[in-house]
Amino acid sequence: MGGQVSKLMGKIFGTKEMRILMLGLDAAGKTTILYKLKLTNQEVTTIPTVGFNVESVTYKNVKFNVWDVGGQDKIRPLWRHYYSGTQGLIFVVDSSDTARMEEARSELHKIINDREMKDALLLVFANKQDIQGHMSPEDVTNALQLNKLKDKLWYVAPSVATEGTGIFEGLAWLSNNVKTPAQK
Amino acid sequence: MAARDRFGAYADLGLTALQRAIRHACDISHYEPNLALNLEVADLINSKKGNAPREAALEIVRLINSRNQNVSLLALALLDICVKNCGYPFHLQISTKEFLNELVRRFPERPALRPTRVQHRILESIEEWRQTICQTSRYKEDLGHIRDMHRLLLYKGYVFPEIRNEDAAVLNPSDNLRSAEEMEEEEKEAQSAKLQELIRRGTPADLQEANRLMKVMAGYDNRHKTDYRAKAAEEVAKVQQKAKILEEMLQSQQPGERIAEGDVFEELANALQSAHPKIQKMCEEESDDPEAVHKLLEINDSIHRTIERYKLVKKGDLEAASKIPKGTLGTTTGVSKNANNELSLIDFDPEPSSNGSTSQPAGGSSLENDLLGLSIEEPALTGGISLGPGPGPVPPMPSSTPPVQQAPSAFKPNYDILSSLNSSRPASQSSTPAPAAMRPQSTTATPPPSDPFASLVSASPRHPSPFPSVVSRTSSSQPPAGNTKAPDEDEWDFTSSLPESNALPTTNRVQVLNSSLRVEFVVRRHPQQARQIHMVALFSNGTSQPLSELHFQVAVEKAYTLQLRPQSGRDIGALQTNGVQQEMLVSGVEAGKGNSIKMRFKVSYRVGNEQKEEQGMVPSLGIA
Repeated sequence: MGGQVSKLMGKIFGTKEMRILMLGLDAAGKTTILYKLKLTNQEVTTIPTVGFNVESVTYKNVKFNVWDVGGQDKIRPLWRHYYSGTQGLIFVVDSSDTARMEEARSELHKIINDREMKDALLLVFANKQDIQGHMSPEDVTNALQLNKLKDKLWYVAPSVATEGTGIFEGLAWLSNNVKTPAQK
Repeated sequence: MAARDRFGAYADLGLTALQRAIRHACDISHYEPNLALNLEVADLINSKKGNAPREAALEIVRLINSRNQNVSLLALALLDICVKNCGYPFHLQISTKEFLNELVRRFPERPALRPTRVQHRILESIEEWRQTICQTSRYKEDLGHIRDMHRLLLYKGYVFPEIRNEDAAVLNPSDNLRSAEEMEEEEKEAQSAKLQELIRRGTPADLQEANRLMKVMAGYDNRHKTDYRAKAAEEVAKVQQKAKILEEMLQSQQPGERIAEGDVFEELANALQSAHPKIQKMCEEESDDPEAVHKLLEINDSIHRTIERYKLVKKGDLEAASKIPKGTLGTTTGVSKNANNELSLIDFDPEPSSNGSTSQPAGGSSLENDLLGLSIEEPALTGGISLGPGPGPVPPMPSSTPPVQQAPSAFKPNYDILSSLNSSRPASQSSTPAPAAMRPQSTTATPPPSDPFASLVSASPRHPSPFPSVVSRTSSSQPPAGNTKAPDEDEWDFTSSLPESNALPTTNRVQVLNSSLRVEFVVRRHPQQARQIHMVALFSNGTSQPLSELHFQVAVEKAYTLQLRPQSGRDIGALQTNGVQQEMLVSGVEAGKGNSIKMRFKVSYRVGNEQKEEQGMVPSLGIA
């Protein structure tokens, strides 16, 4: 009964639910972003993710179910199991790790070329903007060859996950651009 | 046709390719299931993987619930094809609550007097799944909801139709030989499907499981890792077993008998034939392990011979068939089968060496040797002669079965290689009366225990009888007693020609080595532990010099586990008896199999200034 009411309320007030998949190379800051979203204003320390984490975050009437899957190369082949039903992809890159930008590009293109990801929005966090020698969001855009993408809604947001700057702006972009209602 | 396609395209807007294919296969315009279209759907599911099995299952069940009975039946036929061709990922989907509830959505609360055709077919499917994949799948614990649904329907009073076994047989795991790589692939596929499903369900418990599974799949958690090579070796052993059975059956084939079509002969031969290319593939996969390749090739050869013989026997050309060397599996040389086969775990030496010779072990082993002697005489009996029911203790030899003639030509040239290989080690059981030519047993050097393929050639079935070799030989080279296929031998009760006392004692004393060092085993069944054998090795010095640096090692077959207690010392005084003792425990030995354990020993010691090393086989323990 309670569920019925809240569903009805959701319909009236337009609560949306969004399934978000957060991927990226290892040590890009995915887990930090996830818990910064969940536990705003708290210090977050993380260890390399072996497996995945999932949290729901409500922001601006949208309930984001964010799946953060480990980025080590051994786990990458398993990413595809998380594609199904994903409405938004958050791809996190370490802007200071210029050496692995090419690797990040190839992984990103592999993901978005998958049939099941073709309708997903793409949000790129150019993370670690606080570190010396980082690339600007524009440089990241070029390095990832996002301009080549067709039929894809994408956005690059600068962020510093450890301080929590930029990440909610990214979510706002996602919630503003989501079209299709969440499928169960 | 074109018009319909165009029309169809309108209706299908917004559908995935898979959904379109499913709708097309279940199109109302078909009067009966279109196998080609159905298989196309199955192929699509298999190639797309990921979410495809789920998507297909839901679409099919939606069509099953269609108002049009014809569409429902078409969809059910398609479902059947998918279940049978898409494997575990699809099975996982049909066992979800969601799918099963939807499948029986149109069933009334109480069964109607007569189920409709659609209901009948649904009931049939559920029954079929319950009897096959729910019992035989490797991952049957994931398919529990099917059984639950079956129980629920039964409880509601629905009656399940009977299943034709041959229809459902395809759902059971195939007997085909699979290589290590293929098995790994299959396992990975199943894990992928499961992970996908767990993530989709998304309950906390499922997610926890998914996280665990990811660790396994990514290779971080190796605790449960399957040893695929060991499994492949197991599979090969199964094929070997089949070849053995076929070989035995062929050898007991009577001249006048025909092999019927669809007989068990054919089944076995087909299984072997299909294993043939697989073994070759395995050889390629194992190319970095020459020993494994060598063994596989040997097995391959002997399977090939068996198949050849089968073909000839089938044609009725028994004579030609008997010319093929009788390579029973387990004998790599293609040496004729003889009673020693079962004992061939460890090599025998063609030349009895002095220090390794042992006293005659008690009990069954001497009987084995008796029979072994008989089998040697076999070639002397002319084949094709029917043994008359004469009086006296005529050995019930397989004289009426020509294929068992053990022509000397059957010995393969590689005997030489093997004998030279074998002669490098001292003999153990050398008091057998067999001529030297019979003795070089095929098994190559004792394999390193870590290699799963190593034990292949010697892998032999364990007979519950304390006389394994006797039994197997009896069944292999002559029709079993009372076999109706041999009417002229009906009078003969083969087993009765064996000594009555096949009850072996529970304790025994066995001499293992008798040289300057004497080793004796006092063997007994562990009084408390049913499956354990307790042994005490007693070491005595037969020389007049003190013996030092004694180091005794024992090995058992992999099926058993051996536990050694520390030696009581390393030095034995001159002529001292039982100067050193060592306790040993062998566990995993079923009652009655105590005599069939094969053990090897190796001992090194120093007498005076001379360092000695001896090894050999522990004679039969002579206990039950």
